[in-house]
Amino acid sequence: MINFLRWIVFGIAALALNFPVIVTLITSFKSAKELSTNPGFWINQPTLDNYVSVLQVTDRLNIFGYLGNSLVAALIGTTLALVLAVPAAFAIARGEIGKRLLLPTIVNLRAVPLIIFAIPLYMMFQWLGLLDTQIGLGLILTIVNLPLALVILVNAISELPIELDEAARIDGANTFQILSRVIAPVCRPAIVTSFIFGFITAWNEFLFGLMLTTSKAVPMTVGASFFFAASGGGVQWGLASAVMIVGALPPMLLGLIMYKQISGSMTAGAVKG
Amino acid sequence: MNSIKNLDWKLLNTPLVVFLLLFLGFPVIVNLYYSLSEVSFQTLRAPELTGFGNYLTVLTDPAFWQASWFSLRFGVVTAVAECALGLCLAIFLAPLIEKHSALMAPLMLPLMVAPAMVGLMYRLVLHEFVGPVPYYLYEWFGNSPSFLNAESAFWTLSVVETLQWTPFAFLLFYMAYEAIPDEVRQAAQIDGAGPFQRLFYIDLPLMAPTLIIAAFIRFIDGFRVFDNVYTLTGSGPGGSTTSLPIYIYEAFFKQGAIGKAVAASVVLFLASFSVLFGLNWLSGRRKGATK
Repeated sequence: MINFLRWIVFGIAALALNFPVIVTLITSFKSAKELSTNPGFWINQPTLDNYVSVLQVTDRLNIFGYLGNSLVAALIGTTLALVLAVPAAFAIARGEIGKRLLLPTIVNLRAVPLIIFAIPLYMMFQWLGLLDTQIGLGLILTIVNLPLALVILVNAISELPIELDEAARIDGANTFQILSRVIAPVCRPAIVTSFIFGFITAWNEFLFGLMLTTSKAVPMTVGASFFFAASGGGVQWGLASAVMIVGALPPMLLGLIMYKQISGSMTAGAVKG
Repeated sequence: MNSIKNLDWKLLNTPLVVFLLLFLGFPVIVNLYYSLSEVSFQTLRAPELTGFGNYLTVLTDPAFWQASWFSLRFGVVTAVAECALGLCLAIFLAPLIEKHSALMAPLMLPLMVAPAMVGLMYRLVLHEFVGPVPYYLYEWFGNSPSFLNAESAFWTLSVVETLQWTPFAFLLFYMAYEAIPDEVRQAAQIDGAGPFQRLFYIDLPLMAPTLIIAAFIRFIDGFRVFDNVYTLTGSGPGGSTTSLPIYIYEAFFKQGAIGKAVAASVVLFLASFSVLFGLNWLSGRRKGATK
């Protein structure tokens, strides 16, 4: 009996928490005509027209451009964060260098509103010609991803037995070889997890995309909001819904596939944060 | 030998440190310098040091205090709501999820959607003509409140934020709940403790550290909210939903008031820094005391 109640509560929670996505998904299958008479949950005449028009490139809407920008910037932001964080995590976990200042500084970055760095970065990017470029956005996404990547990796390396390093050192490996041949391969699950998690975070970032891009490097989150603002009174809701579903799909799919790893890394960040 | 190894460790840290100095250290210096200068978009590269005028402008600006109040209230309300809901769900659903771990996936799904997108989605959900919520409220009750006017926008946004981030609190609490060894609960049961006694005297006290951490993280994220508020209400109506980050953003991009925006950034930086510093100090002291 109580188990039945649990299923009910689970059902309600799952529906309520995912409510905006469900409504958007339903709306994306409705024609403009149907939407004007039927805003409810039932679709009388399901249609794929909205998706067809979203995937057609026009001057006003080039969804592949937005998707491509998000993909490239997120890949840069995730990869660079790992390139910086893996060696540093090794040094922090094993060499105890940076444990006092570097690690706390970066971990606390998770709790600092990043907008306080945004205006100088905007000016800096203007000088360097990085405004409205995928690389520029990728560099910022690196900052966004660093705290969690570092915490996950430091935790993972600390859990490895120190004998692993010592054995390799006796066999004649130097510090860098230990990292590249022993530690990094053994830590692959942690590296993959922080990559996936970083990719989702980077894909979903909005503030810096809004500030630092205008046309060429606009990411998906910002592109979707343009689409609402530009069309004044007459938002085409079916089309807008299809845009949002397409834009939200990549991180949602990744999240559904990797939910176990992601839940683990979220708690890792929280316990140290 | 030892000093060589030491050098190795430093070399491994160097790229990260250089990156941080470039992308965080430099901005902090620019922030400090520009906040003490008179500067506009025309004189962007040649700011003129003038003193604390910008800080005075910020600290006497009613809009700044309104934004601070919004951020503070939003952070507290959503953190409390998310933790309360997340805790109830975690404890109630734990036996179910233990058996069917895949049930975790749909509950975590909201965390994967960009908050900016969620803000846009609620424009649809709450829309007068095409949104299902007003539609069903009209159908069933013959009336629907306006969700985004000056009085109700704060609460609408709080619900939006809470529904998206309750899963985060839920996840942390579920993990903490599962981490409590079964023997502890069984021992209490043998000693005659009922389900509520076990909850209040065993589960909740053991979960207390997680509760504090979750509440803190959610407060910080609520305090610095930008994405979903910006895409759902902008800052309106009438500036009533301006959070501190939105205040800074608008000062810079909409009003071109660079000095004001930068000074507000420094104030926010100092505020978050002192809170974090205080918390680190407190947790360090607590650890010292228990040892």
